[in-house]
Amino acid sequence: MSDASHIKPATKTAPISRGARIVDVLKRDWQLYVMLLPTIIWLLLFLYKPMYGLQIAFKDYSVFRGIANSPWVGFEHFETLFNNDQFIRAIRNTVVISFWSLLIGFPVPILLALLFNEVLNQKFKKTTQTIVYLPHFISSVIIAGIVIAAFAPSAGIVNTAIRALGGDAIYFLTKPEWFRPIFIGTGIWQEAGFQSIVYLAAIAGVSPTLYESAVVDGASRWQMMWKITIPSILPTIIIMLIIRIGNILEVSFEMIILLYQPATYETADVVNTFIYRQGLQGGQYDLAAAAGLFNAVMAFTLVMAANALSKRYSRTSLW
Amino acid sequence: MSGVQLDGIIKRYGAVQVVHGVDLNVAEKEFVVLVGPSGCGKSTTLRMIAGLEEISDGEVTIDGRMVNRVAPKDRDVAMVFQNYALYPHLNVADNIAFGLRIRRESKEVIASSIDEVAGILGLTDYLDRRPADLSGGQRQRVAMGRAIVRRPKVFLFDEPLSNLDAKLRTQMRAEIKRLHNRLGVTSIYVTHDQVEAMTLADRIVVMHDGRIEQVGTPMELFMNPVNTFVASFLGSPPMNQVTAKVEKVGSDFVGVFAGNRLPLARLGDLEARVGQDVVVGIRPEYVTPATDGVKDQVRIELDLVETLGSEALLHAMLADAPFVIKADTTTAASKLSDVTGFTIAPELIRIFDGETDLALAGQDRPA
Amino acid sequence: MRNLTLSLALLAGTALSTPVFADGHLPIVEEPLELSIHLHFKRATAYDENWPVEQAAREMTNIHLKNATVGSNTDNSEEAFNLLLASGDIPDIVGTTRIKEYVNQYGPEGAFQPLNDLIEEHAPNLKAFLDERPELRAAITSADGNIYYVPYFPDGKYGRAYFIRQDWLDKLGLETPETVAEVKTVLEAFRDGDPNGNGLKDEVPYFARQWEEAVRLVTLFDGRTSGSDTYHDFMVDDGQIKHPYATEGYRDGIKNLAEWYAEGLVDSEVFTRGSSARDFLLSENLGGMTHDWFASTSGYNRLSSEIDGFAFKAFAPPASPSGRRLAEHRRIPVKPDGWAMGFGNEHPIETIKYFDFYFAEEGRRLANFGVEGQQYEMVDGEPKFTQEFLDGGPVNAQLYQVGGQLVARGFPQDYNYEIQWTNEIALEGIALYDQGDYLTDQFLGVSMNTDEQKTFDKSWSSIRTYMLERQQAWILGTGNVEADWDDYMATLEGMGLNDVLSVMQSAYVRQYGG
Repeated sequence: MSDASHIKPATKTAPISRGARIVDVLKRDWQLYVMLLPTIIWLLLFLYKPMYGLQIAFKDYSVFRGIANSPWVGFEHFETLFNNDQFIRAIRNTVVISFWSLLIGFPVPILLALLFNEVLNQKFKKTTQTIVYLPHFISSVIIAGIVIAAFAPSAGIVNTAIRALGGDAIYFLTKPEWFRPIFIGTGIWQEAGFQSIVYLAAIAGVSPTLYESAVVDGASRWQMMWKITIPSILPTIIIMLIIRIGNILEVSFEMIILLYQPATYETADVVNTFIYRQGLQGGQYDLAAAAGLFNAVMAFTLVMAANALSKRYSRTSLW
Repeated sequence: MSGVQLDGIIKRYGAVQVVHGVDLNVAEKEFVVLVGPSGCGKSTTLRMIAGLEEISDGEVTIDGRMVNRVAPKDRDVAMVFQNYALYPHLNVADNIAFGLRIRRESKEVIASSIDEVAGILGLTDYLDRRPADLSGGQRQRVAMGRAIVRRPKVFLFDEPLSNLDAKLRTQMRAEIKRLHNRLGVTSIYVTHDQVEAMTLADRIVVMHDGRIEQVGTPMELFMNPVNTFVASFLGSPPMNQVTAKVEKVGSDFVGVFAGNRLPLARLGDLEARVGQDVVVGIRPEYVTPATDGVKDQVRIELDLVETLGSEALLHAMLADAPFVIKADTTTAASKLSDVTGFTIAPELIRIFDGETDLALAGQDRPA
Repeated sequence: MRNLTLSLALLAGTALSTPVFADGHLPIVEEPLELSIHLHFKRATAYDENWPVEQAAREMTNIHLKNATVGSNTDNSEEAFNLLLASGDIPDIVGTTRIKEYVNQYGPEGAFQPLNDLIEEHAPNLKAFLDERPELRAAITSADGNIYYVPYFPDGKYGRAYFIRQDWLDKLGLETPETVAEVKTVLEAFRDGDPNGNGLKDEVPYFARQWEEAVRLVTLFDGRTSGSDTYHDFMVDDGQIKHPYATEGYRDGIKNLAEWYAEGLVDSEVFTRGSSARDFLLSENLGGMTHDWFASTSGYNRLSSEIDGFAFKAFAPPASPSGRRLAEHRRIPVKPDGWAMGFGNEHPIETIKYFDFYFAEEGRRLANFGVEGQQYEMVDGEPKFTQEFLDGGPVNAQLYQVGGQLVARGFPQDYNYEIQWTNEIALEGIALYDQGDYLTDQFLGVSMNTDEQKTFDKSWSSIRTYMLERQQAWILGTGNVEADWDDYMATLEGMGLNDVLSVMQSAYVRQYGG
């Protein structure tokens, strides 16, 4: 106790400046900042620096002249785009395809994860999991090949089945009304399994005693799924949903390129494929950049809206 | 007759047997505490009663009905878990009502039950909160509430207080006891904390390595432990154990160790052990500290005095082993550092066989 | 420009100190001269000095090319070229596919040197070549009147031909069809007569690797599908630029084609069968007729060892209702591929002489056949590939590996190189096509100025999309071409087809003199 009198009261020392505090923090945790560095560099290099190039959406861009030396043209490219019926159609198709992909495709991985969670036989579980993850690792070109073969009118498995049931063969991939179901279905088949991993991980994080407690309380497996599993992974579901909404306009472009035909443009042509075809015609990067910028602004708005809604109605949000 | 009966309960995981034939009768309204070190099989036994673990062999009877193959929900038991198992996405009221909703009770029943239970547990002001917004003690109460609300025949507690700090634990312990007194429901309570066991139990079951070592009221176990394990497990600090050689002086017995001669009670069983080793059990509370000059004292080497307020713990060495004495500070505070040994009445010493570790016969005292 | 004058002055200086050789004499320079090169096309994504052809060229010319290719890690030449431009440092020589498009845009912006005067003064062989074929000179001239690149000039006339299962015809007792009506009869017989004899009605009468080749059948009904070797291209009719898909003949052709498709005469899966269609349908003994390249399609006659009697023969284009026999697809005489001179090149005279070297005899032989004594020997004054080389695998692929037949080099191809490894059946077919006058002049493309290009870019891509959508819909039967035609034409006009045609027309007149 007597020692206390020798210690200077802390309040008398000069207040530490902000700069000094930062130096202190850097000194203390420098290892963490070093580890953070590669990500920051990556972000700056690959996400922030390219933003400089966005200005070509408002310029008459020539690769040779460079970004800085190309003349400004204001909103000309946007006018060109919005005066083009095919671009409007592409936006509509993008939104429709995305909306249905989300509506149908989003719950599937959750469902799969719940189903896997209920499987008790480990061997069966592992086997089925591998089978549903597999398509994710196959290149889109091969997936498209499989889809085309499966829906081929002469010997495709689908039409063979239709004929066996007494129906007439349908040339699915040239029918505008069939494109979306096939495309969305393919997307689900390809990605649902892999996407379910996130939910499986979330389910694995639910404390087993919650289930034990429910068992003692008399809950059936069905009730446990609805009253414990789903509410417990709900935050994960909401975060995934917000992320998905952010990517809603990023329709899997290569898969569309591989599956569509002029005959199905009506329902299949999305913003990205539209840009792709425009770009082929004389390298119109400025126009493509304008369309891309429009896409990004839309996606940003959607994510902000989804996040705000989620923040208000559930307690989960991205930021 | 809503008692619980265990007959030769065995639990095996593959080739490994972890519970080796437990027999236990829990009477109606009785509060039984299963206590033992971790891995002794107490939790497994409780979970078998709850139905969360399959019973490998033996029979569990609840309320006169064999329940080995009865689903947990139909055993009419309620369980309180160590981590409370509260549903994070539900508020307190919904957590309490969960079991009732599962059982499709009517809205009115649910509402009145929540009110009642919340009243009993003092949760009325917190019904709208989620578990994340509650303190540890409140969460514990909610977990209790979830069990109470179902009005089961048997309460099962699986270390319900071990996640709480010491002060809250003492407080909640008392609440559990009060609640039991009020509701009078048969309760089986698992803990590794002998203080909880002593304070809560009507009867304590001491388990060790998947077996029951001793069953009895707290005082019975405290006074008359059947073996060195029970002796060392109950009591705080635990009973000191010293190995001594028995000598007979006239008609009296003396325990000889490390140059000390400790008078022992006149037990018939000692006659046969003269010249052999026995374990002498000495409760820290029963000794009288002695300073220089006191005759017939057992000499110890004092190395630390822990003052706890009204009492103090004297840590010493005796026969190269730690030896603890609990002393009253009100009378001897100033002299504690001068302690050189102790004396103890022979009838307060508990003597165990040197080989089997079992207590010798004829020394039980009324609890 | 100041830079350029400066370098010209410097050149004049060096020219004084080193004796100037008479044109066409080798070596081009006395002291070895190094020039940097960007060379990129699908088969070779970088320049390799160790190619035997290049080593020989270096020995002869004393000009030493150094690889400065950007984007060698991709086989997408457009991407590589854009990377090169973005880097701002353009090598002395740039050789790539589709260079015409690039030089026409960036040449006037100053990225590439105009070659007209250089050719006139220092490239006698190239000048002679272009003087002989003014339409080719016109084709490579940019909108500003300058020539910015030296192209790869393919040789030989024919590309694709109609092929038919001769053995099926024989089996069904049919003659080779001479008219479109006979083609229909034959295809119906293929469909119904079970020529493959497996008892199943699984024959695919007409098939194609590219669905555009099914559309090609429109030419049998007096329609047109393209004016060049590129699908859906514009064409020149009587000095007027037109688009084949906006002509009456096309309407009638599509109407008939739709009927054929509905009747199962054309592969019902033609839109999705893809590039393996020919391989699959021929080796499974299912396909009857197609329109495809002479050389590779003739090669399928090797299947005769597996399929009894298999004979897949070229036949002359059948006559349309008006009696027209048209081989619409042919080799284009000038490609948009080749090489150009970067703006920073300080040795334009030596470079143009180097370009000219490949139009002189030694250089042309080198670029076409490889190195004497290695890939070929001179026999009776003609280069002949050695037997060892011919047996070593596909000749063109082998030549790519030694630096021959590089399409990113400006050089005139020699069809003799190809004849030597073209199989008998193909040569027979080519002879058959040579007997008739089936070819038509091709549209060699126009170079538009900035304003014209803007008008073109604004509308053409969408028009083309619309055309193809309607085309497939009509063939698939989800629309009726006759009923839709007026709407279709009105829509095309509304989308600006006439504007596109008129800017192309003005460019055409400027370029080819109408």
